[in-house]
Amino acid sequence: MTKKSAKPAAEEAPKPRASKKITSSSTAEYFSKNLQQVGFSSPTKAVLTTVKEAMDNSLDACEDHGILPNINIVIEKMGAGTMKNTDRLKIVIDDNGPGIPENDIAKVFGEYLASSKFGRGRCSRGQQGIGISAATTWALQTTATPVRVITKTKDQRKAISCSIEVDLKNNKGIVRDRQTIDWDRNHGTSVEFIMEGRVQLNGEAGLLSYLRGNVLVNPHMTLTYTLPEVGSATYERVTQDVPHVPDATEPHPHTMKLGEFLAHARLFGRTKLQTWLKTGFSRMSDKVITDMWKAQSLPANLLDKGVESVSDESLKSVYAAVQATQLMAPSTQSVVSIGEDAMSLSVERLGEIDFFAVATRKPTICDFKPIQVEVAIARVHGAGIDGDEPVQVLRFANRVPLQFDKAACAIVKAITTVNWRSYGLRQPKDALPTGPYILAVSIVSPFIKFKNASKETIDASDELVEEIRRALMQAGQRLSRHLSRETKAADLEEKIQHIEKFGPVLVDTLVRITKSPDKRKTAAYEGLKKILGRDTDEAQTKLASAETALDEANLARKKRLKAFRDEDSALEASRAPTPEELEAMEAEASEDSSSEESFGEVSGDSDDAPKSKKKKKSDEDILSVFAPEKTKSKATKKDASKKGTAKKAAEKKPEPKTTAKKATAKAPANKK
Amino acid sequence: MPSVHSPRKGRINTDIMKQCLALCDHMLTDLEKAKRPVLKATKCSLDNSLYDHRVGFLTPGDKKVSTELNVSSVKKMSRSVFMLEILLRNLETGNVANKRELYYVSKGEIKQNPLLKALDFADQDESDEVIDFICEMIEAYREELNCFANDRGGQTYSQQLVVTETLSDGAQAVIDLSQLGTSPFQPKNRPQNLTLKAKKKIDFGIIIESEGTANTLVANGFTKRHNCIVVGSQGVPSNAVRGWVKRIQDQLKIPLYFFGDLDAYTLQNIYRTLKAGSASSLIRNSDFSAPEVRFLGVLPEDIKKYDLNDYSVNEKDAQEGRALKKAKDALQNDPFFRDKRNKGLAEILEWLYKNKRRCEQQAYYSVAPRDPQIAEKIIIEKIKKGNYV
Repeated sequence: MTKKSAKPAAEEAPKPRASKKITSSSTAEYFSKNLQQVGFSSPTKAVLTTVKEAMDNSLDACEDHGILPNINIVIEKMGAGTMKNTDRLKIVIDDNGPGIPENDIAKVFGEYLASSKFGRGRCSRGQQGIGISAATTWALQTTATPVRVITKTKDQRKAISCSIEVDLKNNKGIVRDRQTIDWDRNHGTSVEFIMEGRVQLNGEAGLLSYLRGNVLVNPHMTLTYTLPEVGSATYERVTQDVPHVPDATEPHPHTMKLGEFLAHARLFGRTKLQTWLKTGFSRMSDKVITDMWKAQSLPANLLDKGVESVSDESLKSVYAAVQATQLMAPSTQSVVSIGEDAMSLSVERLGEIDFFAVATRKPTICDFKPIQVEVAIARVHGAGIDGDEPVQVLRFANRVPLQFDKAACAIVKAITTVNWRSYGLRQPKDALPTGPYILAVSIVSPFIKFKNASKETIDASDELVEEIRRALMQAGQRLSRHLSRETKAADLEEKIQHIEKFGPVLVDTLVRITKSPDKRKTAAYEGLKKILGRDTDEAQTKLASAETALDEANLARKKRLKAFRDEDSALEASRAPTPEELEAMEAEASEDSSSEESFGEVSGDSDDAPKSKKKKKSDEDILSVFAPEKTKSKATKKDASKKGTAKKAAEKKPEPKTTAKKATAKAPANKK
Repeated sequence: MPSVHSPRKGRINTDIMKQCLALCDHMLTDLEKAKRPVLKATKCSLDNSLYDHRVGFLTPGDKKVSTELNVSSVKKMSRSVFMLEILLRNLETGNVANKRELYYVSKGEIKQNPLLKALDFADQDESDEVIDFICEMIEAYREELNCFANDRGGQTYSQQLVVTETLSDGAQAVIDLSQLGTSPFQPKNRPQNLTLKAKKKIDFGIIIESEGTANTLVANGFTKRHNCIVVGSQGVPSNAVRGWVKRIQDQLKIPLYFFGDLDAYTLQNIYRTLKAGSASSLIRNSDFSAPEVRFLGVLPEDIKKYDLNDYSVNEKDAQEGRALKKAKDALQNDPFFRDKRNKGLAEILEWLYKNKRRCEQQAYYSVAPRDPQIAEKIIIEKIKKGNYV
């Protein structure tokens, strides 16, 4: 027996541990220690996430204000980083968005969960308000340099330039070095991060893939980028339509849990219960409520009570009654679509595309949530994709490219369950099809169910996978129509070759077997020539008609796109500026000409910059249809920036004449 | 045209040679006249199969497969003529080759002459198809073109049978099966060169699906106790087995019985082929089928009568599933099973299709597990009582 065990029982009892002080930590502290959860798990992902968050914010803000976005991204290496395998990088993302009101700057860049979009049930790219603050935190952690922001709204005369730090203790943004400056544009935002990271350009998780993905699903965006090693490239917008993101519909009661239902009720205070049910939810009409009340035998007087005076017990019984009632599925009006025509134009910006098929499904309900699926399949030439390699899959959720954790994603699951062989593609069993194709799938919904906080993978429910499958199959059928025409052409060509290869062998063998003289051989050759000549002619006619059919199909597609583009331009040309725009343009005109010229330089840069390697003939073919307009636009920019003779260009523009000069010069940035 | 002697087979092949040369000459003449040559072959498929119980085997109908020279068929036609040249050379010299060897012979020819490269066969299936097409075109067995298959099955046991084989040099070899000990006699793929004689009256012949079961019966003294011939078919009967049983039927005129598993595959692919030939061999069924063979069992009623162990068909098994599907088709479209004289067999096939049961020939050994002669006893009992179809 040990000494210890011999001690009296009272002494044996363990002493209560000294209670540690329970402390609260701020949201910012939490995220600063868990940056990997929001896309900053490695130096490579940090760069990509920073660009992504800034771009998402720009695109969302432009869409909210009806602005056609011009986004310019510059990443420069400034030397080696202190972390292993990293560089010290300067990342600048610059837009012509609405700008950020001064009071919001610190919140946007320095405060976590500060968002104008959280829980609004709209199809916006960003939702929670975490990403860009996390980028600021990463920059502070790796280089101790705050983010530099220049922003200007149209109401401000001068732009505000400042640095933002994150006060981790209090989850607040701190503004430093605030100045007002003259800026080269009427409105916009430019952010500059100095951070350590690594730029990965290629591969599915690479920056180029991300940017190309954004180019595809944002046909209304002009994107210019300058990246280490690849230099500069510009993708001009292919449509003048800013997507309209519909407002959210009221929540559907069947999508709510009891706690949410009760909390929702408390937001409505004295509102009558009936009014709350009718206006606070979708698909709840007076008739539905009356029928439900009868069917579930609820007390009639409850409906006239104010929501705040209804007990939890009664609300619970109302909740149960609602759940037991069959309601119409939620509305699909809250989703935003890219559209087949816009996507068709956009897909050609991706590279040397020799053929593509797009399919836009009608909005539908999956897992009780409105959703819309769009698919584009493009065959690429010279993109370095080997025939035996899997197709390149571009995934999008609310028009944001998804680049990680591909295998578990609903989109990839749907692709692998489609039988692509029946559409003319090669496909190993239960795997992605192979070949030089880009397969882009976009899912838009105000409630996308992600598998993780960093929004990299869409949860694969059976209903969603089936909906994606249908879209893929629709695009696949269009693809197969094209491929079958190609196969026919190839087949006919092969047949012609057959004649040339096999005909002489046939005659020679027959002559040998029958031991016939040369005279017969010559005669047979002549006869064969006549027969096969007829066949060759016929085969060539068929081949020509197959090729004509293919050309006609391509021409029809081009015409359709031209009509779409013309309609787009006509709409744009005929639209008179709004009073706000007139005001803005006048204000701009009163400023000194430097802003116009510096803006012109931006445009000029993009014109003078080496053309994107990816912008190839097929793209130009399509765009050549609009060449006069394009040339005019370029000339205008050049004139405005280099010679200051915007007047000449302005004369070509319609009313209002007084503002035409500026309006023309600003056209790309300020059309809406 | 000199007559050509095939030393191995001891047979003059001039008819086939003449037919082939006439065909080639006709093609050449057509070409000289700028007319498209047409090759016609008998369509060897079930929809061109006729059955008349008085004839006893499946015969070809009028349907022909025509191949006219055009852009699509020029490859097939050139390949056919190319392979025909090789086969004719074999006939001239008396050489033989199986299909695999012919595939390599063609490869060798192409290697030597680069102009022929376009004719190259990617695999043996392609060259086999051409050989079959040639046979169908000139309505000859491939053995008649000196292209032989592997001799499989047909191991024969008897204490009474004597076989005389005419050899290629005209000499004769006499084989007394009772003198072979435990070794069986095995016929060749062209048993037409064999003459059969019985030393003593032979009461019946039995063809057993399983080579192993045939061996067991003989080892246990079946052929000692009964004046008979036992033939193991080793599954689907080869040309050798089919021609050999036909020879036994025609020359000895004894009752013949087939004993095998009770399942759709055995009934359609093994027994029907033995008795009436097959749709794919329409042009040679006359020499390669024995219409007198009766189906001894296993019969559906045997299962109950002898309390045999049967089991359900595994439809997931590719072969069994396919056979069951084919059974339904056979009942509707196969002229053999639709013939009134074969109603009994059609009923068995229908029973198999509906009940999806099967019973193996070896199940007889479960009737008296300690009696090694139990299968023999049941077989004899069934023959005596006429318990067959």
